Amino acid sequence: MTATNISRVALVVFAGLLLAVPVVMPMFVSPFWIDIIAEILIWSLLAASVNLLLGYVGLLSFGQALFFGVGMYGAALSVIHWGADFWGGLAVGIVAAMLMAAIAGSVAVRLTWHYFAIITVVFSLILYFAAMSAKPITGGDDGISFSTPKVFSFGDLELSLADQSVQYYTILLVVAACYGLFGLIVRSPLGVRFMAVRENDRRAALVGINVYLTRYLAFVLAGGLAGASGALFAFFGRYASASYMFYHVSGEAVVWAIVGGAGSLLGPLFGTGLLIIFRELISTVWEHYLFVVGAITVLVVMFAPRGLAGAWSDFMKVIGRNKPAETPTSNPGLSKPAADTKLGG
Amino acid sequence: MRSGGEDIVALSVAGLTRRFGGLVAVDNVSFELPAGRLNAIIGPNGAGKTTLFNLITGEIRPDAGRVRVHGREITGLKPHQIVRRGVSRTLQIKSVFSGLTVAENIRTAVMVHEGLASPFRPASSYVAVNRRVEELAAQVGLSAHLQTCASTLSYGDIALLEIALALANEPRLLLLDEPVCGMGPRETEETVATIRNIARTVDIVLIEHDMEVVFAIADEIIVMAQGGLLARGTPDEICNSPDVQEAYLGAPEEEDL
Ligand SMILES: Nc1ncnc2c1ncn2[C@@H]1O[C@H](COP(=O)(O)OP(=O)(O)OP(=O)(O)O)[C@@H](O)[C@H]1O
Ligand SMILES: [Mg+2]
Repeated sequence: MTATNISRVALVVFAGLLLAVPVVMPMFVSPFWIDIIAEILIWSLLAASVNLLLGYVGLLSFGQALFFGVGMYGAALSVIHWGADFWGGLAVGIVAAMLMAAIAGSVAVRLTWHYFAIITVVFSLILYFAAMSAKPITGGDDGISFSTPKVFSFGDLELSLADQSVQYYTILLVVAACYGLFGLIVRSPLGVRFMAVRENDRRAALVGINVYLTRYLAFVLAGGLAGASGALFAFFGRYASASYMFYHVSGEAVVWAIVGGAGSLLGPLFGTGLLIIFRELISTVWEHYLFVVGAITVLVVMFAPRGLAGAWSDFMKVIGRNKPAETPTSNPGLSKPAADTKLGG
Repeated sequence: MRSGGEDIVALSVAGLTRRFGGLVAVDNVSFELPAGRLNAIIGPNGAGKTTLFNLITGEIRPDAGRVRVHGREITGLKPHQIVRRGVSRTLQIKSVFSGLTVAENIRTAVMVHEGLASPFRPASSYVAVNRRVEELAAQVGLSAHLQTCASTLSYGDIALLEIALALANEPRLLLLDEPVCGMGPRETEETVATIRNIARTVDIVLIEHDMEVVFAIADEIIVMAQGGLLARGTPDEICNSPDVQEAYLGAPEEEDL
């Protein structure tokens, strides 16, 4: 079995496990863990949003929580004021976040490096304080709550988020769709432009890429991912609060993305999972669980600079390299690295 | 090999000026280069050659002056717009997409001209693009390295990859900034042959310090010194010009001519 095939099988197994969660998990642990997994899926989209910028166009944003918050309020307010259902609320949340990103991005992506990081923090702080002070609309720190709208109704059959399994599968469906779209985009000609800008923006311009526009599109799409994350989290918690727009939320997403592996599609999902599970396990016994999170982060950055995903692909490369060595060759001295890659991939 | 077009001006620069603080890097430079010939620009270090290229390709803005390519005004356009008008360049300090393979590097440059019509179609499924990637690699002699990561290429091969990237937009004008710098004698010879080959269909302006290369392939030479034009002529004329001897060829690092 080649490394690519192993990765493919691993992905199928992983998808199977996610599908089995509501059925299998209660057999072993408290059903409360179904919600933890759902929460990981939701938050991983915020990490994916950081990843789209950091891993694919090379921009480090410390302000993605802003779009998370806009997605959250987009969903909550459209349910409260317009009586939107789940899908309507989700759509409003995503579109509102993308609009916000379109506005913030037109300024932010003119900058790079730390200037970009700083402006994203500044934007999210401005909007955070604005949301905190607009208490009549946003509820400020306390937030606003709403009752769950229905997800589907076929005649008599009504599916509601109040049912834990329905909620889990609905979240899984949306999150999977987001990753699917993300994957398609980064493999498309637009994704090729993203990576060119990340690798070398001067050279990118010299092969005819509009670097500004490319970064801008990535920023708006990343806003959409963060918005989807926020909207889902609003439905999950049945409320929205300005406190989620604070930059420590953004910072946490950056840590998840880096631990998971920026530049890989699913890496940040695993980074988010690992750190949230640690938080759940340790925070109950030790209030200073953040030390553990910090330690994990430092260890990963030291020993697997490309995150969990990077460690996995290195491991797969080792497997791929061992493979041709097993097949007897008359003249092993002639095998070149390039030939190995072909056999391994 | 070129037919017609000889009367057209490939590159026309008028009053081009750029200052860096007190230094006038390019000082009121005007010239016209006819199409269909291989033009070289030579001059001592700091003469302003690279800055001239930067001004033509829109990477820095001129303080004054205009640039026309094949009769079309490109002054003030952004670098990517100028590339799309058929002007390409290589850089003096070679730089490519170092984290990508040679094939991915070239595919990136070719893909740019495909547009974003179908946002969800995988980039790898564009058959014509893949064919063009192979053609370009063959043209610069990198076919054997298609799957090599650019970060592990030799400096000479990076220079060749840069030429392949520059050819991806099917340029009408190609600006080469010291293309054989850092290459061994055999590589230099091959690259010179490649450049000659390209020159049959593309107008080339070449900055080069290697006089052997310049005198071997240039139809016409422009000499720059201290931001200005010092002389212009055929290789023989330049070789025998006293001005050039003094300002350039007679400099400490004597070139053997
Ligand atoms: N971005 C810049 N900022 C400030 N000074 C610059 C800049 N670019 C070039 N210069 C200065 O302008 C002058 C011309 O530089 P340029 O690179 O054009 O020379 P060159 O003819 O290409 O030299 P070389 O043969 O060494 O490559 C030099 O004195 C250089 O220091
Ligand atoms: Mg130079």
